[in-house]
Amino acid sequence: MVHRTILLLFLIAFGSMSTFAEDVVVVVNQKNSVNKLSRDEVIDIFLGRNRQLSSGVTALPLDLPGTAEEREYFYSHLTGKSMSEINAYWARLIFTGRATPPTLVRSQEEAMQMVIDNRCAISYVNRNKVSSQVKIVFELNNK
Amino acid sequence: MNNPFRKGILFGTVVTAIGTVLILIAIFVAFTAYRTATDTQKYFEKHLYELLDTVESTAGVACFVEDKQLATELVAGLLKNNEVASVIVKASNKELARGKQSDFPEADSLHEQSSTVVSRLIKSPFDKDKVIGEILLEPNIKAIHRQVLEKVYFTISMLALQLIIVATSIILIILYVVVRPIRELSNNLHKIDAAAGERLMLPKGHEGNEIAGLTEDINKLAETLVDALNIEQELRHQQTINEQKYRSIFENSGSGIFIADEVGHISSFNRSFVRLTNLPAKDNGHTPKLAHAPWKNYELLEELIQVCFKERTDQSADFELYADKPCWLNVILTAISDYQVQGVVTNVTTAKLSEATAVQMVETDKLTGLANRVGLERYLPEVIRRSHGETMAMMLVDIKNFRHLNESMGMSAGDQLLKVSASRLMGCIKKTDWLGRYGGHEFVIVLHGAESRVAVESVATRIIEVLRKVVEINETSVSTGCSIGIAFYPAHGLDVSALLRSTELALDYAKTTVKKDFQFFLPEMVEMAEQRHKLESELRHSIQRDELRLFFQPIVDLKEGRIVGAEALVRWQHPTRGLIPPDVFIPIAEESDLICDIGLWVLETACHQLAAWSAAGQSLYLSINVSARQIPNALTASLVKEAINRYGIPASSLALEITEGVLLSDIDKGIEWIRTLRNEGFQIYMDDFGTGYSSLSYLKRFPINVLKIDRSFIRDMNVEANDRLLVQAIATMSHGLGLQVVAEGVENEGQISLLRKMGCKYGQGYFFSKPVPISDFDLLKRSGLHLPD
Repeated sequence: MVHRTILLLFLIAFGSMSTFAEDVVVVVNQKNSVNKLSRDEVIDIFLGRNRQLSSGVTALPLDLPGTAEEREYFYSHLTGKSMSEINAYWARLIFTGRATPPTLVRSQEEAMQMVIDNRCAISYVNRNKVSSQVKIVFELNNK
Repeated sequence: MNNPFRKGILFGTVVTAIGTVLILIAIFVAFTAYRTATDTQKYFEKHLYELLDTVESTAGVACFVEDKQLATELVAGLLKNNEVASVIVKASNKELARGKQSDFPEADSLHEQSSTVVSRLIKSPFDKDKVIGEILLEPNIKAIHRQVLEKVYFTISMLALQLIIVATSIILIILYVVVRPIRELSNNLHKIDAAAGERLMLPKGHEGNEIAGLTEDINKLAETLVDALNIEQELRHQQTINEQKYRSIFENSGSGIFIADEVGHISSFNRSFVRLTNLPAKDNGHTPKLAHAPWKNYELLEELIQVCFKERTDQSADFELYADKPCWLNVILTAISDYQVQGVVTNVTTAKLSEATAVQMVETDKLTGLANRVGLERYLPEVIRRSHGETMAMMLVDIKNFRHLNESMGMSAGDQLLKVSASRLMGCIKKTDWLGRYGGHEFVIVLHGAESRVAVESVATRIIEVLRKVVEINETSVSTGCSIGIAFYPAHGLDVSALLRSTELALDYAKTTVKKDFQFFLPEMVEMAEQRHKLESELRHSIQRDELRLFFQPIVDLKEGRIVGAEALVRWQHPTRGLIPPDVFIPIAEESDLICDIGLWVLETACHQLAAWSAAGQSLYLSINVSARQIPNALTASLVKEAINRYGIPASSLALEITEGVLLSDIDKGIEWIRTLRNEGFQIYMDDFGTGYSSLSYLKRFPINVLKIDRSFIRDMNVEANDRLLVQAIATMSHGLGLQVVAEGVENEGQISLLRKMGCKYGQGYFFSKPVPISDFDLLKRSGLHLPD
């Protein structure tokens, strides 16, 4: 009986945690004409290849701080690469200035705010941070 | 020195080594160069790929974000490698960067189709399946080649250097270890004198190795050679001595020695040869010839040389030389090659002369000085050879009664007779004819050119006349005569023996058959002789085949007309010819010892008959004939005694008849034989008394019992007063001497009455009976005889 209780507790705790990190989505400003993005489009935008959206506006991708679990989760699930690899990738590009990394924000809340404020802004956030003021254009877990 | 060096081991070794090294270098270098080039090529290819590997992720990033600057940096980075000639970095469809080495021409050639271009597709850093660009890299072929070559050169140089060092080291080692000692050996070998006992020194430091072995072998070989050389020298020395020795023997030999060829050229001869043959001194240096010597018959010597070559055996002959004195040389020829003979010449004059004398002596009859049988056998073949078929007559002259004379008057008388006969014969023939003494009392005469029988016959007649003349010997007149057998060459014989045989046959025929003084040979005489011979051989078997028969002729008491005994006469019942009379076969038997066997058979048969008569109560005696040949040994007294004892008959019933001739050969032995038989009680009859040469004095000396008067006296006593007187005288004389008389050949009554008157007690003859077989005799005995009163 005791064991069953412990297992249950563990499952609940673990489940709640995973739900926390796993459910990362990409959101844009409500006014943005884009409603849906493909995985490649998301990669192009966030890894500096192409930030021209179909609507003709240049997207402004946002990056969560390195400490945010969502950041690592986002990149690893999007590109299959670790954070250090992503960093190394950017290190090569930074010197030429041809491509720039996404603009670093301090938190998800800030990211949300910038998306709400800026029509061009695009960011990944935990689903539980999503508000109606933004549009979800790409769901990482929605495969 | 240059030339030997070229041939030397040193030169060879160096050349070979260098050649080998060069070939090895070439092979190794070629191989190494190939390998190095290939390896290096591969290395550079690999290097280029590695270069691309290092820039691949950066290129991915550059292409992903189409970052020209990054791409340019990347290109610049790649171009720092010499091997890279030019680089192009392309994103999906546009060129990001391009660059080339400064010394490289415009990179127009850089396109995908170029075979040398290395390309690498660039994939997205975030999606391995997605190609987002490409790097095209053209290698700097020249630079690469240059580097490859540098590498190859270096490797080759190192390799070649190593090989050269190794080869040089090996050559030096060989030179030091092998060539040098061999050269040293060779030099030493040139210097030493092996014959003087010097031997090869072993180079220092080579004790116990192959060089030492070689040195030892050379020394051994040298010793063997020196030994062989010494033996050879010794032999040659010995040979020289031998040659001198033989030369001296040759030169000083008492015999003449020469070597000549087929035609008589003398190539070599000694002093004795010159001395013996009187060979003229050398003339003008011409080769002396055998023919130069004064041979009497040089052609014979030439012939002998040819025979010697042909037969290949030693030939020897005697040759006479023309000289003041007789000179004979014996030459022995030996073929010493196909065209040379060696001759040895010795003087055989003395031997030759004494031989001639000896021959003369052998061939001469000492008594008469005529040639003897040996002389005839030498003379006649020569004559025949020279006669060329010319007719010759040969006479065989037999002196009659010679044996008788010899025995009655002594050997010297016989000799004298022969001498006289010889000189008389000599007077009968021509000088060209030939006379010799053939045997004891036979002479042979050869008449040359005796064309006709008449001529020969006249010679024969003359001889007979001459020899019939009285000869005075020891003051006694001796009358003799001769028989002659004549044969002709070539008709009656082609050689000595055949001719002699023919004359013998003719002579025999003259003496025995025809009783003529001379007789020519007739071909049938041969057949007769053969017949005789055949008869003799058949007679030889007659006893075993039981072919002899005994016939009996009665001996009659003339007064009483009673048969008192018989003369046993042998007859031959021949299986094919019938009854053969004794005068045919007895002479044949007497010529051989057959008569002895026949005599024994007669004795045996007579004894058998006497025993039969004795058993039948008849008292008869038998007389058997004894031949001269049986006396004294073939029919001894003891033999006769033994026979009568065996049959149990008295000695007095057996009489032995002998003729006067029996006793003539050896009177003393004959008398002794008679005496012994008489002592044993046997009767001895004297057969055929009155013929032959018996003298009355014999009657006194011979102790006989009975005289049988020969039939020739009895035959004509009826009509011939002389014969009658003779018979009367014999009868009277016999009576006086106490001898009984048997008259032979009684044929009529007149004879019987005459004989009775003369006091002749017994008779024998056809009047009573001819010789008959025993059955007829018995019949006669039983029926009795009818004599006149």
